[in-house]
Amino acid sequence: MATDPFESEALSFLDALYRTALRMTRSEAEAEDLVQETYIRAFRFRAQFTPGTNLKAWLFRILTNTFINEYRRKAARPDTTELDDASEAYMQQVSEAVAADEDTAAYVEELEGRIDEVAEKFRTTLLLDVEGFSYKEIAEMLEIPIGTVMSRLHRGRKILQRRLYDVARDRGIVAARAMPRPAD
Amino acid sequence: MDCANCLERLYAYLDRELAPVERREVRAHLDDCAGCEDDFVIEQRFLDRVRDCCQEDVAPTELRTRIVARLRMEHDAPR
Repeated sequence: MATDPFESEALSFLDALYRTALRMTRSEAEAEDLVQETYIRAFRFRAQFTPGTNLKAWLFRILTNTFINEYRRKAARPDTTELDDASEAYMQQVSEAVAADEDTAAYVEELEGRIDEVAEKFRTTLLLDVEGFSYKEIAEMLEIPIGTVMSRLHRGRKILQRRLYDVARDRGIVAARAMPRPAD
Repeated sequence: MDCANCLERLYAYLDRELAPVERREVRAHLDDCAGCEDDFVIEQRFLDRVRDCCQEDVAPTELRTRIVARLRMEHDAPR
């Protein structure tokens, strides 16, 4: 039984599923429950998996569906960063400022915290992208059009950059005067 | 391809989602336009950072043990 190939291959994606679940739920306990539930479902519905196709994508689809159906409603913390309409020119400055700040150790730490703050629908899309899934695969997992995947990735990344910029500015790394924040 | 068209395709290019012909058009524009090239480099670095940052966590050992035990129970249960 320990050599069940389906089980072994599925378990090789445990770290990837866990880290994604952790950032989806923002809670270690919920991430563990979510991942365990994903494996139980995968195992029960294994007959629906076509051998030779992408097992990682299949498992992530189960993870995402389980999260959306069961965990999203009782998310541990409300999302704090909502969509806003910054001008393209402003976002351009933000991208550059973020790049200038990127080699500081604080940057990585901030980045982790800021990802958790991105509103759920953008965050989930970003996380699936980070795991290497194509636009088409993400669209299938979330049951949304490819165009929506693209726009969520775009907005999610810009929200993240803007948050990083604001943090850098607050720490004095970026001169606030050089890049005034536009009126919301 | 002009700068606006090129920047519109920035993420699709970096995400390797463009069709070969379009990809070559963007590449040709970047070779001629330092401004757009800079933007692409900055965004690529940002995406790399996000990717690195998100891939640090590993699952707790107890979780793996618990899942393996649970799957064993599923094996043993009548189907």
